[in-house]
Amino acid sequence: MAAFDIIRSGKHKTPLKPKPMADMPHTELGMDYKVWCDSHKGTHKWRNIRWSVLIFMNLLFVLSFVFDLAILEGSLSGSRLIGFYLMDPFNALQELAISSTTGYIVHLTMNFWIGLFTILIFWFLLGGRSYCSWMCPYHFLAEMGERLHNYLVKTKKIKEHAFHTGIRFVFWFGFIILALATQQLVFENLNVVGIVSRAMIYGPGLLLFWVFGILLFEIVYSKRFWCRYVCPIGTTWSLVGKLSPLTIKFDLDKCGYCRDCQTVCLVPHELWFVQRGKATQETHYTGSDCTNCGLCIDTCAGNALSYTLKGWGTVL
Amino acid sequence: MAKKQIGRREFIISGSVAAGVLAVAGVGVKYLDISHSGEQLRQDFLRPPGAIGEVEFMYGCIKCGLCVQICPVQAIKLAGAHEGLSYGTPYIDVREQPCDFSCDALQCVETCPTAVLNFEQFKDAGALAVEKASQEPGVDLSKVNPFEVQKVAMKEAVLMGKAHINKNTCLAHQRKGFKGISRGTDFEGIYRAPDSKFAYATPLKDKEFDREICNLCVTECPIGESAIVFVPGRGSGKLHPRVLEGCTGCGVCVMVCPTEKPSIVVEPIKS
Repeated sequence: MAAFDIIRSGKHKTPLKPKPMADMPHTELGMDYKVWCDSHKGTHKWRNIRWSVLIFMNLLFVLSFVFDLAILEGSLSGSRLIGFYLMDPFNALQELAISSTTGYIVHLTMNFWIGLFTILIFWFLLGGRSYCSWMCPYHFLAEMGERLHNYLVKTKKIKEHAFHTGIRFVFWFGFIILALATQQLVFENLNVVGIVSRAMIYGPGLLLFWVFGILLFEIVYSKRFWCRYVCPIGTTWSLVGKLSPLTIKFDLDKCGYCRDCQTVCLVPHELWFVQRGKATQETHYTGSDCTNCGLCIDTCAGNALSYTLKGWGTVL
Repeated sequence: MAKKQIGRREFIISGSVAAGVLAVAGVGVKYLDISHSGEQLRQDFLRPPGAIGEVEFMYGCIKCGLCVQICPVQAIKLAGAHEGLSYGTPYIDVREQPCDFSCDALQCVETCPTAVLNFEQFKDAGALAVEKASQEPGVDLSKVNPFEVQKVAMKEAVLMGKAHINKNTCLAHQRKGFKGISRGTDFEGIYRAPDSKFAYATPLKDKEFDREICNLCVTECPIGESAIVFVPGRGSGKLHPRVLEGCTGCGVCVMVCPTEKPSIVVEPIKS
């Protein structure tokens, strides 16, 4: 899987030579480098759009229940959008794993299958892990926690602790094996996404303390710990998004090597090509770990990053 | 190459910590599973209609809450964290709000995407009843409403539990009557009484009873005389309620029972 990503991203090729000073965007504009870098500070176009969508969708869940609107019923683990079922894929995957060993699989309704495939196609078209930044209520909380965390790191109150991102797959397989071994959807009892979603719709419960515990851990110890290293839902979506057309495009000739985009990014390894002397092609695309949150687009002074439908350029 | 090796080492260390955490979680779940398996099912934790066996229910239910949302009387609730592994699964507390069948179509069962509330049995029961009704000799087919027949048959096919009467506290057994509002004026429960002129459920507190011998559980039962009857006792000849085979365990009788502790309780069916 990883090898496949490398070939696709162009990481295996020999890097291009870094641009000379004369070709840098700030010299072309006749600006001071520092001033140029900060010229997009305070731009939050995509962040504001994304937060609006995220809050609106989660509010729609709540309002549908409170006012009996029948627009978006259920919760993030399974829902019905104007009558059409939608299933959480990791939940469904555990369910399928257990029920195929016990034979219960034959009882699953047609709505289950339709819901599973609808949501897979839907988020595949929208970039897979876009679910995280555009839909997940915990992502929103974690973004707030991240700001606090960044402040604490900046003022040297705490140290940053990073881990290997590959342990997501240990958790992903681990939770499926755990489900098979115990015949319970164990992950659902620990799933901060589902807990927050359910708490918003059906009322808060004791498990919110678990959510706050994770959040606190992220704030004082390791930045975005759950999203980066644990969440198997995000991992599932990143697998779904492997071949998704919607990604973020990088134009080397507009880049000023400032790396601001990597600092704001949840998954900085997906932006490996922004570093001076790393890019191997004139244009690069982010891989499937990218949540298409648009923070890098907002922060980029040279507009080197943009949303794109890869492979559809000639059609549209 | 050196950097790659460091990466690999880091992965092995944090990966094994992750695997260890998961293993501990697995042992914990198994422990909870075993320590809770001997527990009695409770009447304040009845599964909704059509629920399959508890073992399958625990992995089949994805905790989406669609059954909660569709129930017109809001009888179904999602369990909190204090229920342990049952967190997020649907239950009914019949003393607070029973299933009164006022949706007429077992909508919670129909809406369930994973069929842990299994609709098949009700579909079969409904179809069988319609077939039976149309084959009865001397029946005018134009007068048979298949939807009515199906509705009743589906309702009667529900089996959440069986009601049991506590003779020591039951008012009828003590030859006592009941006059007034059965659960007080601030009780929130609603139901559709058999003699109600509305098609939907109305609050229990709006209904005043006046009975010489208390028989609320018998008259308010949504199933009727196949489930509970008011009959003279074998020895004493006193009138008192008796639960029959047709009881579905819906729990309306438990809600309406005026004694402080309900004199009629639903025992969940263990399957």
